[in-house]
Amino acid sequence: MTALCAADLVVRLGNRTVLDGTSFALRPGELVLLAGRNGAGKSTLLRVLLGAVAPGRGTVSLHDRALAAWPALARARELAFVPQDTEHAFEFTGRELVTMGRHPHRRRGSRLQPDDLAAVERALRAVDAMPFADRPVTTLSGGEQRRIAVARALATEAPLLLLDEPTNNLDLEHALQLVALLRQLATARRGVLVASHDLNLLAPHSDRVVLLHGGRLFVDAPPAAALSAENVATVFGVRSGASLGFFPREFRL
Amino acid sequence: MRASPGRVGGVFVVATVVLALLYLAIGEGPGFAELVRMLTGGETRPDERFVVAQIRLPRLLVALFGGGALATAGVVMQASFRNPLASPDLVGTAAGAAFGGALAIVTRFADAAVVATPLASLAGAMFVTWLVFVLAGAYGRVSVTGLLLAGIALNTLVGALTSFVVTFSFANYTASSEVLFWLMGGLERSTWTHAWITAAGFGVFAGLIAPRTRDLDLMTLRDDSAHSLGIDAPRARRVLLWFACGLTATTVANTGGIAFVGLVVPHLARLVVGPSHRALLPTAALLGGSLLVASDVVCRVAPPEASLRLGVVTAMLGAPYFLYLLARHRRGEVL
Repeated sequence: MTALCAADLVVRLGNRTVLDGTSFALRPGELVLLAGRNGAGKSTLLRVLLGAVAPGRGTVSLHDRALAAWPALARARELAFVPQDTEHAFEFTGRELVTMGRHPHRRRGSRLQPDDLAAVERALRAVDAMPFADRPVTTLSGGEQRRIAVARALATEAPLLLLDEPTNNLDLEHALQLVALLRQLATARRGVLVASHDLNLLAPHSDRVVLLHGGRLFVDAPPAAALSAENVATVFGVRSGASLGFFPREFRL
Repeated sequence: MRASPGRVGGVFVVATVVLALLYLAIGEGPGFAELVRMLTGGETRPDERFVVAQIRLPRLLVALFGGGALATAGVVMQASFRNPLASPDLVGTAAGAAFGGALAIVTRFADAAVVATPLASLAGAMFVTWLVFVLAGAYGRVSVTGLLLAGIALNTLVGALTSFVVTFSFANYTASSEVLFWLMGGLERSTWTHAWITAAGFGVFAGLIAPRTRDLDLMTLRDDSAHSLGIDAPRARRVLLWFACGLTATTVANTGGIAFVGLVVPHLARLVVGPSHRALLPTAALLGGSLLVASDVVCRVAPPEASLRLGVVTAMLGAPYFLYLLARHRRGEVL
């Protein structure tokens, strides 16, 4: 079953065509890496898949129903998002921010239920954020803020997860932990889409790699096939040697 | 370190009640002894009862609800714009309300009915805020910087127009001095009509905002994040800003220009209970009300020949706080 499916997307921002006939599908149980040069349309594709941007042409459907037809809260229970930008204007604690992830499950004006608290606790533990969960987020390092953002998405318990550059600012240990967590989520039948430049780190753990090139889907294939020397040269303009797979799947922490 | 919201709430309610009783007992005429006798049903003179019930009490209520309204509007605007410097003063809402009110007073429209000034202020506040939105392109994609820039631009323009209305009316000395005094903010002419309008404005709009505290929390995230959690941030922002407009306009119409309350009080409240709006909104409302009551105490105990205006007192409290924020900012802390 295809959980999230986009067909023939065209998005124009101003007079620039950002996405040009892109099709994409995300199924439960798979970890998909979305890559491409800066400005290739990765973030835009994520925002269209989230329903935050309506495509000029093409369709997005979630569980075989048009994404735009979903009530906002029901959609939020299916589809979670980790943004690239984690800048905060106010001094919420990490735990308060992660608790916001429970919003789609809560009735207006209701207090936190035991299962909300349990989900927040699980999400904080999953990203190893317990030691700093009750500190104001503005006092945390970039990497710690990012883990809080991931925990907020996990707290929604949505079966589909979209992440924009989640390994930015993460040290090697926490980057590897995050990738292991994403792999674990995919194995537990969640669908995970990661937009990232971190090919070395993510490709070996991904089921598919999707390369965007000039707003078009260049290739959608298993990592080894997608990241062939020829494809990497075309999409990134870089001659790759044997550098990919620096952290192979067998890598242990 | 944050205090527990329940305990803070208790302390603030007690402090506000004490402050209110103090307010009713100071000034020329009846003092504490007479007030206690009045409250306990003892013997009092009719003129003493009149001073407390018809002069001090309505003025107290205008200060309390007006301060609460401005602080609540400030909290809503800061969350909506994701910017701790947003406030009715900075995005042009207060300037629009002042312009509408000034126009009503000068054209004698204000004499037509008791709600004429509030309505004119509301129209001015809504028009300027709407214009700020349109200029910033907020009906498409929201740019917070754009909104603030448009707010500052219109603030300047509308401020100039208000000055023009005042000088234009110099031919009519009473009208222009009335407008000038009103613009500087003051409560001395508060009657029960003013008290009812201020209380009703606060009750209606704060009542509409109260069930949306979690929306306000989520709006402090980026729009995409809020969207992914089920909040249509641009739409919620528009709705909440109209409510903030309503709070600002009903207050400004009755009090005139009261600077800085909407900007400073949300910060003070956040220092005490943190940024979560469930605790922040009531704390800010109480703190705003008490701050305006305390500022008006300063006006009332100042010698009459000084003619100290309420807006001047709040500005004197607010400006140093801005400098304190600047000092924090220079140490690299979040505002």
